[in-house]
Amino acid sequence: MPDKLNDADLARQLESWAASEPAAELSPEIRQKIRGALSPSLAPVTPLPSQGWLILRFLAVFVLCAGGLIAILGKTGFRLMTGFQMGAMAAILVGAGILLSRALASKMIPGSRQALAPTLVLAVSGLGVIGVTALLFPWRASSDLVPEGWPCAVLELMIAVPATVVFGLLARRGVLYSTAGLGAILTGLAVCLALIPLQSQCMFQRAPHLLLWHLGTGMLVVGLGALIGWRGRDFWIP
Amino acid sequence: MTRYQSADPAALDDLVGRVSPLLLRYFGASRVGRSDAEDLLQECWIRIHRSRHTYRSSEPVMPWIYAIARHTRLDAYRKRRRRESREVLVAAVPETGHQPNADALMEQDSLDRLLASLPEAQRDVIVMLKVTGMSLEEVARATSSTVGAVKQKAHRAYAALRRALGKDGNDAG
Repeated sequence: MPDKLNDADLARQLESWAASEPAAELSPEIRQKIRGALSPSLAPVTPLPSQGWLILRFLAVFVLCAGGLIAILGKTGFRLMTGFQMGAMAAILVGAGILLSRALASKMIPGSRQALAPTLVLAVSGLGVIGVTALLFPWRASSDLVPEGWPCAVLELMIAVPATVVFGLLARRGVLYSTAGLGAILTGLAVCLALIPLQSQCMFQRAPHLLLWHLGTGMLVVGLGALIGWRGRDFWIP
Repeated sequence: MTRYQSADPAALDDLVGRVSPLLLRYFGASRVGRSDAEDLLQECWIRIHRSRHTYRSSEPVMPWIYAIARHTRLDAYRKRRRRESREVLVAAVPETGHQPNADALMEQDSLDRLLASLPEAQRDVIVMLKVTGMSLEEVARATSSTVGAVKQKAHRAYAALRRALGKDGNDAG
């Protein structure tokens, strides 16, 4: 074998090498074992709907829950925001919701096409919210940062945790390999959903409050989701 | 595959017969013995069976099967690693050494031995591309990544293989 092979030569070499190797034979005993293990539970199954339908289902839940919670919690925050602030924040949160719905749907079906890595979507969404908040919202300091903030954090948790469970239940028919990525996607989608009604009812539309209590709590939830997914893997693998 | 989803026993038998040798080759390339590869194959078929409702006839079947096979192998690896770490806690069991050295490569002139020298992610890509004959797009689907990432892994794998082959050649000479 010459020292300086280019990729194409090496690829051809590997192909011819693979073709010349004898195929791995399946012994009749193993074949019988597999057949014996699968045949008793061989029943017709209904295939999952298409990936597009799965995405639409997640988005429908996302929109209905966000809309319902806005109706319940009120629109005080929206009245305090400018149209530009509202539009930019909505675009980022809804955009992240769409991309994460797509990521979750592709996690349900093995061998799905992956347009964007979920970690990239989460990172860009987080940076987007930070950027919009830092640039478009006032940086007025408040002496009551903690008393003003913790009710928002509690409310965000009260929305995000059940929402994570709902999205998890919707996704359970798929093949969900227990990974940190899945935990982060589920909680990321739930946090995006929670941030919309939170923004609509919050009367403290200032950058420090939004970054610390809204986004900070959201990042904590996503981190916990990833951690639970990662640690849970050890328990779920028999 | 759609006949298998409709509970046709002949379709199951046909699928097992056609796909198993490829899967056995795939598992065999990951530094496990024949009996471990057969265990992985059986576990993989159980997973394929349980998740057969997630296959859609409009999509290619091989990326779907290999995505399940890949997770089967990863889970088995994590399970083995966990078991080994527990064993080390009880008594300091020496590492069994899953990383073959270059001398072993030189002695064993086989494709599987050569592929065993690659990191797992790169080996997956090369086995799927060159041994199974899947396209870049199909490998990207099976490994939950993008075509660009697959190309990059393949390029790095070729560089590593060139180094391994070069060392073989030098050692032999």
